[in-house]
Amino acid sequence: MDPVSRPATEPAADYAVELLGITKRFGAFTANEGVDLRVRRAGIHAIIGENGAGKTTLMNVLFGLLQPDEGEIRVDGKPVVVTDPSVAIRAGLGMVHQHFKLVPSLTVAENVFLGMEIRRNGLIDHRAQEEKTRELSERFGLAVDPTERVGLLSVGIEQRIEILKVLVRGARTVILDEPTAVLTPQESRELFSTLRGFTQDGMTVIFISHHLEEVMEVSDTVTVLRRGKAVATRPTSELTKAEMVRLMVDRDVSFERPARAATAGQNILSVRGLWARDDRRHPALRDVSFDVRAGEIVGIAGVAGNGQTELAEVLSGLRPASHGSASLNGQDIVTLSPAGVRAAGLAHVPGDRMVRGVDGNASISANLIMGRQNRAPWKKGPRLDWKAAANEAAKMIQRFDIRARGPGDTVRRLSGGNIQKVVLAREFTNEAPFLLIDQPTRGVDIGAQEAIHDEIMRQRAKGVAILVISVQLDELMKLADRILVMFNGRIMGSVDGDTADEDQIGLMMAGIPQGSVEAAA
Amino acid sequence: MEVLTSLFNVALLVAMLRTTAPILLVAMGGSFTTKAGIFNIGLEGQMLVGAFFAVLGSIWTGSAWGGVLCGVAAALVFALIFALLVVTFRANEVVVGLALNILAGGMTISLMKAVFGTRGSIVGQGIVGLPKVQIPFAREMLGSWAPLISGYTPLVYVAFLAVPLLVLFYRRTRLGLHIRVVGEKPEAAEALGISITRIRYTSSLLCGLLAGLAGAHLSLGYITMFTENMSSGRGFMAVAILIFSNGDPLRVLAGCLLFGFADAFSLRLQTFGYPSYLILAVPYLVALAALFALSYRARPKLIRETAETMRRFLSAEPDKPSNPRPQ
Repeated sequence: MDPVSRPATEPAADYAVELLGITKRFGAFTANEGVDLRVRRAGIHAIIGENGAGKTTLMNVLFGLLQPDEGEIRVDGKPVVVTDPSVAIRAGLGMVHQHFKLVPSLTVAENVFLGMEIRRNGLIDHRAQEEKTRELSERFGLAVDPTERVGLLSVGIEQRIEILKVLVRGARTVILDEPTAVLTPQESRELFSTLRGFTQDGMTVIFISHHLEEVMEVSDTVTVLRRGKAVATRPTSELTKAEMVRLMVDRDVSFERPARAATAGQNILSVRGLWARDDRRHPALRDVSFDVRAGEIVGIAGVAGNGQTELAEVLSGLRPASHGSASLNGQDIVTLSPAGVRAAGLAHVPGDRMVRGVDGNASISANLIMGRQNRAPWKKGPRLDWKAAANEAAKMIQRFDIRARGPGDTVRRLSGGNIQKVVLAREFTNEAPFLLIDQPTRGVDIGAQEAIHDEIMRQRAKGVAILVISVQLDELMKLADRILVMFNGRIMGSVDGDTADEDQIGLMMAGIPQGSVEAAA
Repeated sequence: MEVLTSLFNVALLVAMLRTTAPILLVAMGGSFTTKAGIFNIGLEGQMLVGAFFAVLGSIWTGSAWGGVLCGVAAALVFALIFALLVVTFRANEVVVGLALNILAGGMTISLMKAVFGTRGSIVGQGIVGLPKVQIPFAREMLGSWAPLISGYTPLVYVAFLAVPLLVLFYRRTRLGLHIRVVGEKPEAAEALGISITRIRYTSSLLCGLLAGLAGAHLSLGYITMFTENMSSGRGFMAVAILIFSNGDPLRVLAGCLLFGFADAFSLRLQTFGYPSYLILAVPYLVALAALFALSYRARPKLIRETAETMRRFLSAEPDKPSNPRPQ
């Protein structure tokens, strides 16, 4: 059943990278426990697992960002003590992090050569750097303009730059941490063909993902991590998606679109011709119009950074609009403050929960009454009734299955999924007619995702108008009655949730408007 | 018209360049720390110890340059302590900076008492000032405009030459690039094996170097004396300029010239018999105006929120439904 735990008898040179018996503990918590991972040369090896299963920890150990408590790392059959990333780089490893580490004010070439600048007479030779970058980008089909400033580029191109950075340092094994989370389906496919090009060149790819379809599509071998242990390593062709999920979460999880009754009622939110600018004063929303009706879930799809954040901020009163209107229950909300919009009937689950969702240093009770602390039963004369708040919190902890020690627990101590549940518990019990949910399950593991989706469906059944913004297309295809696709601040088209097709949406996410999609189909 | 020509003339420009120089030197120093992502409020203190030890050094060595060296060394010691506390021990930058400023103020006063037995100021005692540099042929080429480029003390030239050098430093040198990266995106630097600690120490010491020169310029430049709290807020003005300019050398220069002009202008106004306490406020008023103008971006939201709050308080009958809370 478990072939990986047997000692290697075949010649070690078959493997580009071997991790043997890796254990990594953080205090009492064991992130990796005796993990064995052998990666074949010139193959694509996927590592899958829920959030918190230890994927990123394992890769950080391999790349020298963390030191293992036990275990050995071998590169090309030779034991290597990876004390810091520079050792890993010298051994021929390269890592493309989940969060890009690019400097916005520098050019593409400057970013690629950062830390290993080409110099002439002691000064940086910009021209030579640009030349080399161009050469490499053409060779591997990673189209970039070396002279452009990174701050102006899209995420897809940023990722190409990260890959170029790794290549320019002579990596033979490339590690990618959740590389497709920020890409359109088409961009993902381009990335996969680049990765296959690498393996034809004799290079090795390690690919971390929890997007199972991609893993099926691109990888040769899969290792599944669960609670810090490697529970299986198999050729991808021998596994189905359902089997992978079972290995990851140890139970069956449904990917089905939940059955629903048509409940859509009158318009709750009407957005007309909305324009807004981003922090750099560039237009971020361009002439956006749509409606959300009671008992309807409208999804906003799109690659991150195409105006979704600004849309959520305008609708929640955090950002001024430059033109247009948005009315909630017949009341114009674009000129209102966050408190004003909430009073008009908004409940808002923000995209970045640690920044706008919770006060991490406060207790669960405090976070649950935040924003409505001036209402009964929490307000008692001039002071707050903390006992009532704690009682309410205890009920919420029960109802939303928040894993915590109690209402007084500090929110920062909880896992990402549980913090998200605190935010949802507060917003979903506001009895607001309009619910704006930005990234409902970002960084939440599969089990908790399902619970959150169920809760959203319950709100729909209660007749709440719901706007869900998500970069995870499969999530929208599961939840939404209608999906609007945003590109560069515009709504490119709208598709029915029941008949939505990933390719069609993907083209719109890449900026091809709906009309031409239908003409091409 | 006569008033205007006696106000605005070559002498005013020369005075502006002279008053700009010390702020510019210390601000150029602060540019290193700002670019490296350190909020260095300790410029004032570094400048002050620089000024004091420059005087002390010039008396000891009998040479102005020996004095400059001593001043710079003292400022470097302060910069090193700052870096040690802020970078290595991760103390709060503002607290450490303020503490060092207070230390600098107190220390120079007690040392003055211990060494010279006086309070207030050190004058004479064998202090050697910096010589004035006469640029050859300046008078032949520029005539009455010659004082614009000739006849300053050496550190004035250093201050203005530092600007293009810093531009080049940030654009074309490896250290300059790495300082920018450490300030803008430390995680990128870390991932590429650039040591954040080393870069921050380096930029802090470079800052101390220029702050020390600025201090030496104060006490050995145009006046050869040391007085209590002689830096008189120039370090803080530099901090303000650095916040506006984000440490960008050209914008720092523009900010320093603005302050230098306001300073020179207020000195000039004094000769017209306006009350001096009003006139001494001019540079600070300029600072406030600049602050207000440059915070323009943040204002639309501020105005909107203020307007809404006002509306809520002022209108007894709002034009909206009186009970907007939905059920």
